[in-house]
Amino acid sequence: MTRSPARAALVAALAVAWIVSAYLLWQTSVVPGSLHLPHIDVHDYFSAAQLREAARFGQFSSRLWIASTVVELVVFVLYAKWGVRFMRESAAGPVGTGMLLGMIGFALVWLAELPFDVLGLWWERRHGLSHEGYFTHVTANWFALGGQFIFLCVALGVAMGFARWLGDWWWIPAAAFFVGLATLFAFVDPYLLSTHKLHDAELAGQVRALERAEGVRHVPVVVQHVHTVTAVPNAEAMGLGPSRRIVLWDTLVDGRFSERELRVVLAHEIGHLARHHIRKEVAWYALFAFPGVYFLMRITRRRGGMGEPEAVPLALLALVVLGLLALPLQNAISRHMEAEADWMALRTTHDPAAATQLFRQFVTTTLDEPSPSTWDYVLLENHPTIAQRIAMAQAWRSWSARH
Amino acid sequence: MEPHPVQLAVTDDLVRGRATVFFRIILAIPVFVWLLIWSIGTFFVAIAGWFVAIFTKKLPDGIHGFLCRYVRYVVHVHGYVALVTEPYPGFGGKPGYPLDVTLPDAPAEQSRARVFFRFVLALPAIAISQALGGSIGFNTSGSFNGSSSGGSHSFRFATFTGGGGALLFAVFFLAWFVGVFRARNSKGLRDAGAYAIGYTAHVLAYFLLVTEHYPLSDPAAMLGGRVEPPPVHPVHVVDNDDLRRSRLTVFFRLLLFIPHYVWLGLWGIAVAFSIFANWFVLLFRGTPAGSLHRFNSRYLRYALHVYSFLLLVANPFPGFTGLPGSYPVDLVLPDPARQNRWKTGFRLFLVIPAAIVAIALYFALYVTAVLNWFVGLFRARSPEGMHKLGVYAVRYIAQYAAYYYLITDVYPNASPLEGAEPPPEPEPTAEPQYAW
Repeated sequence: MTRSPARAALVAALAVAWIVSAYLLWQTSVVPGSLHLPHIDVHDYFSAAQLREAARFGQFSSRLWIASTVVELVVFVLYAKWGVRFMRESAAGPVGTGMLLGMIGFALVWLAELPFDVLGLWWERRHGLSHEGYFTHVTANWFALGGQFIFLCVALGVAMGFARWLGDWWWIPAAAFFVGLATLFAFVDPYLLSTHKLHDAELAGQVRALERAEGVRHVPVVVQHVHTVTAVPNAEAMGLGPSRRIVLWDTLVDGRFSERELRVVLAHEIGHLARHHIRKEVAWYALFAFPGVYFLMRITRRRGGMGEPEAVPLALLALVVLGLLALPLQNAISRHMEAEADWMALRTTHDPAAATQLFRQFVTTTLDEPSPSTWDYVLLENHPTIAQRIAMAQAWRSWSARH
Repeated sequence: MEPHPVQLAVTDDLVRGRATVFFRIILAIPVFVWLLIWSIGTFFVAIAGWFVAIFTKKLPDGIHGFLCRYVRYVVHVHGYVALVTEPYPGFGGKPGYPLDVTLPDAPAEQSRARVFFRFVLALPAIAISQALGGSIGFNTSGSFNGSSSGGSHSFRFATFTGGGGALLFAVFFLAWFVGVFRARNSKGLRDAGAYAIGYTAHVLAYFLLVTEHYPLSDPAAMLGGRVEPPPVHPVHVVDNDDLRRSRLTVFFRLLLFIPHYVWLGLWGIAVAFSIFANWFVLLFRGTPAGSLHRFNSRYLRYALHVYSFLLLVANPFPGFTGLPGSYPVDLVLPDPARQNRWKTGFRLFLVIPAAIVAIALYFALYVTAVLNWFVGLFRARSPEGMHKLGVYAVRYIAQYAAYYYLITDVYPNASPLEGAEPPPEPEPTAEPQYAW
């Protein structure tokens, strides 16, 4: 009787601490809270044919995602029920057997999702967004699965190792370890890409000007060769401390975008670094990791705890379900940071026309729907919609006129 | 199980003449020329035999006899050239050579489908034979070149003796040095060569429709009872594999190996330092440091488990610790013991011959792994012959590694047979017996 209220109070305190932390993290954005995004009629910016094409592409992609996710869930449910049978294929101890079960689970999902993956590639190739061959794609995915196996084994090794050592308290050091690992990956990621320096001297000069304007220490801008695989343009800010850099896909600097549009892209990416978004991503990850791993501990208790290999198939299912449940929130956080980077770009370049033109171009070059359906927006969009981004450019114009 | 109709016979006494060993390749030139001529003839005879066998379900007696002689002659020539035997072979492929094969006296009835698809069916065995004794080649006998207005074209005869396989080549290379210096061949090398050639004979006999029995790669079935097994090596394999394979883990075998690959690499870095340190300890003390010896032994056993898993010699996912007795294909390693300082000092050079054999067996291991992958996927089992060949390969490679890692100073034994205790001395009878 005395333990339950105390425990409830502790849980409540932790929940409040979590909410306060999340609120504070959310509130670090520089986008004015009073900013009102005007309503945008997408027909004013895009032709009916463009909208139809983007809608067609988006609908098929979304359905494919739903089907693939359902299959993934079904496989993990079945695996949670019967995956334990694969224990007989192991001569390893409990942790090694747990790793094997984890890998087999992922392998089964990979197999089950392969048709959807190939279908997705077919769809992209049909719309000129991908140039990747089917064999290359499947082979690359195969090797990517190998990479996942390494990460999975490390994660399971740590979780099961702590669980066997600390019992139910394993989730605290394990979550801390995962946060450390996420930080390490955030640091190391840029070094894993094959890139070259940006050769465009004029653009490089603009980068330096933008860095000064946004108060960012010099950050290298590099170009990644992707045009043999995809036609989709993209750029990203990566790394922590000395590993920070901006990576431009060569599909972005292939002449389809004007200098002014590229300037907006660069300002956006520098904005990510100026607002410390990579660090904030790690912080958000930490906020999700601790409760997530705690739930995992609670769920796996029914199979003897995370220290037992029998718990691994169930843990995989729990992980996937938790990931799906957290997806809307994660997308919202990502959109929040992307919106802030857009705002930084507008504030630095003072060029809403170029930003609008850039966002319009995204519809034709990536077939992004300017204004997708609500469920698509909630579950799949980790950037503001094109309509929202154009609206922000309009809003900035009025806001800057007032200030 | 019914014995294979192609049986190897080894009566070689290991004695070699230095001069004939030194000039072996040159001395073999007439034999090569004759084999080439015979091969060209066999090419056409075999095609004729194939057509006849499709209709009559068996080879005509004359063709069967001709092909048997050819197979036997190939065995003799391979044996002579690879220094597995000493006497110069005759040109008729007659029985009685120190390395010989017995073949079916009369042609047996065969399935038409298996005759029709013989070439395709033989491909896996041909692949294995390329790693062992060699068998079928397509460009070694000579060519007819011609040209036309459109360019040049060439046609090459297929022969059935496409040069030695990897193991036989390694055996020849090493036996040449051994023979020149010691006027003898090493028994291990001789047995490995005999095994490789025996497999070649199996493949040829199958390919040429002399028999319908598929080639047998089990070393014990090939050599058991024909040559003495070697003494028990301090490093040997205990094989308790049940040949069952999980289709799913077979399909993903390469990816499932990845975590072990990472762990092997990390552990291997520490082992490299440990071997180096142990080398100094062995040089000064004559016996290895117990802790380093155990550390390196664990690693070696772990590596054997992992590679047995990767290369489908065994089925279950291995543990990460190299614990003895934890895996169906396990490695027995000796306790720390006194080692010869000279052998320790020059270990890096002494290990080179063993490395040559190990490379050849690695090749065999990888070939069988690829074949086993397909078989495992479809049948959820590993064929026993290929499994035993895999065990032979991992055993030798483990012996080589144990020698290299300073775990033992006993040289690896290339014999495909597992070591056996010598037969016990006859016990003296209680009552003294007197010969009158």
